[in-house]
Amino acid sequence: MCEKRLVPRTRREFLWTLGGGLGGIALSRMLGAQEPGLHRPAKAKRVIQFFMNGGASQMDTFDYKPALKERHGQKFDPGVRVEATTSTPGAILGSPYEWKRHGQSGRWVSSVLPHMATCVDDMAFLMAQSSRTNVHGPGVYLQTTGFVLPGFPCLGAWVSYGLGRLSDNLPTFVVIPDSRGLPYNSKGSFSSGFLPVAHQGTILQPAAPVPIADLFPPPGAKHVTSGSEAEGLALLNRLNRAHQEEHPGDTRLDSRIASYELAAKMQLAAPDVLDLKGESAETRKLYGLDRKETQDFGRNCLTARRLLEKGVRFVQLWSGTAGATGNWDNHGDIKKELTFIAGMVDQPIAGLLKDLKQRGMLEDTLVIWTTEFGRMPFSQGSVGRDHNGGTFVTWLAGGGVKAGAAHGESDEWSWKAAKDVTTTYDLHATILHLLGVDHERLTFRHNGIERRLTDVHGHVIPQILA
Amino acid sequence: MRFVLFLLALSLLPDPAQEKPGAVDFERDIRPIFKASCIKCHGPDKSKANLRLHSKAAARKGGDSGPAYKPGDSKGSRLLQLLLSKDDEERMPQKAPALAAAQIDLIRRWIDQGAPWPDDGREELHWSLRPLVKPPVPTVKAAPWVRTPIDSFILASLESKGLSPAPPADRRTLLRRLTFDLTGLAPTREELESFLADPDPDAHLRAIDRLLASPRTGERWARHWLDAVHYADTHGHDQDRPRPNAWPYRDYVVRSFNEDTPWARFVQEQLAGDVLFPGDPQGVVALGFLAAGPWDESSQMHIMADTVDKKIAQNLDRDDMLMATMSTFMSSTVHCARCHDHKFDPFSQAEYYALQSCFAGVDRSDRPYDADPAVHQRRQALLRRMTDLEARPRRFQKSLSDPDLQVEVAAWVAAGTGREIPWTVLQPEIFASAEGATLTKLPDGSILSEGECPQTDTVTISARTELRGITAIRLEVLTHESLPTQGPGRQDNGNFHLSEFRVAAGDPTKPVPVALQNPSADFDQQGWTLAHALDGNPKTAWGIFPEVGKPHVAYFELKEPLANDGGTTLTFFLEQKHGGRHLIARPRLSVTAALPPVRVSPHPPAIAKILAIPSGGRSEAQTSDLAAYYLRTKVERELVALPRPLQVYAATNDFKPLNKFSPARLPRPIHLLKRGDVNHPLAPAGPGGLAALPGLPPVFEVADPEDEGQRRAAIARWITDPRNVLTWRSIVNRVWHLHFGRGLVDSPNDFGRMGGTPSHPELLDWLTATFLEQGGSIKKLHRLILSSSVYLQSSRHDAAAATIDSGNALLWRMNRLRLDAEQVRDSILQASGKLDLTMGGPSVMQFHFEDPNPGVTPKVDYAKYDVDAPGSFRRSIYRYVFRTLPDPFMDTLDCADASQLTAVRNVSMTALQAMALMNNPFVIRQSGHLAARAKDVEGVYRAVLGRAPTGAEASALKAYAEKHGLANAARVLLNSSEFMFLD
Repeated sequence: MCEKRLVPRTRREFLWTLGGGLGGIALSRMLGAQEPGLHRPAKAKRVIQFFMNGGASQMDTFDYKPALKERHGQKFDPGVRVEATTSTPGAILGSPYEWKRHGQSGRWVSSVLPHMATCVDDMAFLMAQSSRTNVHGPGVYLQTTGFVLPGFPCLGAWVSYGLGRLSDNLPTFVVIPDSRGLPYNSKGSFSSGFLPVAHQGTILQPAAPVPIADLFPPPGAKHVTSGSEAEGLALLNRLNRAHQEEHPGDTRLDSRIASYELAAKMQLAAPDVLDLKGESAETRKLYGLDRKETQDFGRNCLTARRLLEKGVRFVQLWSGTAGATGNWDNHGDIKKELTFIAGMVDQPIAGLLKDLKQRGMLEDTLVIWTTEFGRMPFSQGSVGRDHNGGTFVTWLAGGGVKAGAAHGESDEWSWKAAKDVTTTYDLHATILHLLGVDHERLTFRHNGIERRLTDVHGHVIPQILA
Repeated sequence: MRFVLFLLALSLLPDPAQEKPGAVDFERDIRPIFKASCIKCHGPDKSKANLRLHSKAAARKGGDSGPAYKPGDSKGSRLLQLLLSKDDEERMPQKAPALAAAQIDLIRRWIDQGAPWPDDGREELHWSLRPLVKPPVPTVKAAPWVRTPIDSFILASLESKGLSPAPPADRRTLLRRLTFDLTGLAPTREELESFLADPDPDAHLRAIDRLLASPRTGERWARHWLDAVHYADTHGHDQDRPRPNAWPYRDYVVRSFNEDTPWARFVQEQLAGDVLFPGDPQGVVALGFLAAGPWDESSQMHIMADTVDKKIAQNLDRDDMLMATMSTFMSSTVHCARCHDHKFDPFSQAEYYALQSCFAGVDRSDRPYDADPAVHQRRQALLRRMTDLEARPRRFQKSLSDPDLQVEVAAWVAAGTGREIPWTVLQPEIFASAEGATLTKLPDGSILSEGECPQTDTVTISARTELRGITAIRLEVLTHESLPTQGPGRQDNGNFHLSEFRVAAGDPTKPVPVALQNPSADFDQQGWTLAHALDGNPKTAWGIFPEVGKPHVAYFELKEPLANDGGTTLTFFLEQKHGGRHLIARPRLSVTAALPPVRVSPHPPAIAKILAIPSGGRSEAQTSDLAAYYLRTKVERELVALPRPLQVYAATNDFKPLNKFSPARLPRPIHLLKRGDVNHPLAPAGPGGLAALPGLPPVFEVADPEDEGQRRAAIARWITDPRNVLTWRSIVNRVWHLHFGRGLVDSPNDFGRMGGTPSHPELLDWLTATFLEQGGSIKKLHRLILSSSVYLQSSRHDAAAATIDSGNALLWRMNRLRLDAEQVRDSILQASGKLDLTMGGPSVMQFHFEDPNPGVTPKVDYAKYDVDAPGSFRRSIYRYVFRTLPDPFMDTLDCADASQLTAVRNVSMTALQAMALMNNPFVIRQSGHLAARAKDVEGVYRAVLGRAPTGAEASALKAYAEKHGLANAARVLLNSSEFMFLD
């Protein structure tokens, strides 16, 4: 892993040995900067990242292509070789949804996302994102970590590493997977890779019997009582302090003592965040908690807002599990499969945006909606679509984002990105920029290479900055 | 100072342009300017705009905006334009005052004079590439401290800084340190007591020898190695499927460390053991090294064969093999040169692809091997013999006409040569005619078609069979007295036409098609051969006219053996679409598990032809063809009779194709790829090494480049050549790193310019030379290091020393190390008395496992696992490592991410780690076992910390234990810093 020294050489490194942890204050503040942000003033302090696992179909959601409907059923012939990843290319497939312009910005949105359509004036769209791959594993890794191979730290881990924590009570980076299961690459996409494990995404499952692993002793542990825990921690503290006094000059021993104090704080704070009882009926309705199809993702979204309020810096929410169904990988039947998965998240995501806005949190919260790639303009089977790394859509909203903007265009079929193409690297560079971080200067040495989230690429996208 | 004066002097001169321009000397005039004003941003450390001016080669190459200067043309040189620019954004140097006019003028004149830059003899060879010379052992003042030459090197550098070593550690500390270090476990109470009681001042030497002989040591050091090579029991990537045969490689590594395999051999086995040590089955198992990393199943197996994504996946797969090889064995970052020449080290992109091409013939898959060397050797010999019999090199020819052999062949021919194929006749359960013929099952298993005689028909027949590993199907078309001319067809002339013969297996409502091949019939009507029954074309068919009135038979081989895991139901479709009542009257179906070929004539046509000739009439060539064929059938029989081979997941070029994943018949062509992009192949690349190693030619002598094994053998020999100093320095540094927590070079996977600089370069070279002299014995290296005074030091802090060397790079004390994840887990089990020391075998799943869908990642639940299940007590090296679903408990303790090559583990102290150590069911349950075994506070102390508690400690723990139980007291102690750190 990292070429780590036994004793930190610099103040900055000292903080890293504590896993960005001791005292838990954001690095930028400890370094004396006034505003959060490592290299420049930040427009956003915290992030919500929605990841639509499976490859959300752009031409059925945000990328309106009337030509597909007009030429529905005709042979797809762009004049060059057409490759599909898992199938033989079929005929042109028009979107089965109704399309309308929305908001003052007049963005086209299909009828599959009626709630997000009401928020387009808060969003900035990257209409021509392109991927390096058409395969889920590498694609999800690329869009989460900037590399098509496993083992690299994800965006949330880099943000945690660069900016540290906003709060002592909760982890810096929290991942809420789809309650039905993990996405492609399982936990690989939340990994801290070679960064210290402190920056790894803490998995939170709001609906599970054990929402955070090992937060409390398991219910079956007979000899554990609340008294045993409190007094045990006090005794441990005494032992560890005595040990530390006998072994001066070793900051790791201080860190250990601090880590148990931090754990105790987390035990107090976490259950409180997960308890939605205090939320009004109106709020619950806004997130779709009153409807069966949306209550699950709605709970995750509402929990995400509460996490942000309590000082979590980065929350990543996943929609869609691994496997052939139950996600955005709609090979078989766009109308059936996409309507189902989009219906689960549309209202909760729009609800979260509206809620953040009404609470004044959207100003310094960055919201990102993305996926690993798009889908093909021609059919797979008769009414499904195969993977397409050629073009797809990402949107951003909130802190520092130019509301109502759209950047980039795909070709007339939404087959390939055509104009103002943006890459994963550009997206990541822009996200870091909004957080006050220069993507070229956020680095970590590993196996001989000064690693970056953006590898050797990436340009901030000024067109979507406020 | 002289430099400043020099510049000052220059700036006082009249405008040099007016002067007669004297010759500019690069070293005297120009390099100092570059060094002072340019190199910081354009040098070895940083290369803004990709420009670097620290070496001639780099400067000549230029940066993003092209060459920095054009020799002879200062006006057209960008360097000068930027030095003179009035635009602050542009003017160089940035964020610093402009260069003095005189300096700029020197540069102008230097360029105009052709920019002479003497060849960089002075650019010193990087330390790691320098040839190995065993340095003399330094003399030191405090000589009595010196136990080994290592101590002289360390002490000399301490003394030069005015530092002195720490006093020796006490014996309890020392034995804990040694035991954890070598075996990953704590010393037992008995071991501690006898060590403390030993009057011999050198008792530790005996302890070292005892520990080196312990099989626990191989397990511990294998774990380090598995970190380095990113071993796991699953593929990783999006589907992250199990890799059930990875573990034999893990056991190989444990065994190699325990047996102290010489280093060169260990390396060679892992790259080309099959080629270099063909008699040793472990040479095959060792190839698990190349396959240890993640494998992109989706891209390799499930996507279309000719797509760009597939090529990318293959390129990255080889890249992973090469990166593991070069990082692990040579501490080289040559993988940085996949997209461009290495930015910092002297490795070109062409060299990268030359190295990559060494793995162009292999993929990762299960590979058979025989654990028993005798069987292994026999199988290898038989396979070689088979190859010879097929290729028949000249040396073989003579033996084929050997008279004894001819006698044998004659006897074989006389005995009928026939190979009996054991057929199992199927008993149909369901059968139907699509067009309404009446079907009746006869006692012999055949189906007779009577009554209505339609023009065309499709007859469907289903039967259950318990036969395993079905390899072929037999279709008999029998005669019957009720038929015109007795059949076998219902057509008036006795013929039939079978347009398509299809088979499906499994549940008859959802049968899976079975692929057939190599059809053979006892007779084919002209133009109506049996192959037509498999061609998918309903207009063509198999017929037998004019050979009517007698039964006929057709064999079909399966492409893949069927029902390997048990019986199945087979459904047959006899499509007869030709019309004119060309229908089979009485089919009967059978199956066999006989080894292919399964042909109606058991012999290939050429042999059948020879056999048809009476023995006296055969030509010499025919005689030897027949003899060779006979010998092959013998070899085949013997191969089949050998015990079933085991499997290891390893590098291989011979495996059964799976979906779209199939082996390369010949090494795949490798090209230098522009910017690493598979869409832009440039020149072809053949096997070769790095030119940067003095005295070691980069040329690989590969006699037959189509033999991929030779390529791997070549790179293995090159890496282990004694002149390949990177290899030898690398392992010595790794071992040092693992003993001290930090290497003599603190970047064990990078000995390049961006890596660390050795803290004790002479010591590193002395140790490396000694290691080579001692035959590459890791155990001897351990012993040398562990018996040194440096290692025996206490880890006590010294504030004064810390002000001089805060990082303890000079080793004025021993480093205090935190236990790693495996040490924590294993020593908790040891303390609780539950540790199971069973060695080897399939990896233990320490999680709840369900695998409902073979297309996706299995369901893995660590929380549901019963921590008292027997598998829970095995040593951590035998844990099943799930790449994308790692054990959260081990994760919080900085266990390596199995997707990355991990040379150095992180050490963190986090809240999640604290919670895991307090609350994880494993710790809670083991605390209970520990309490039950230890009985009282003192027992718990001895089990966890290897000492008795002090009075104060005992009373504090006792008070707590009385209130909350001894198990909780044990848990508190397992969370203590004293347990977690080794002094």
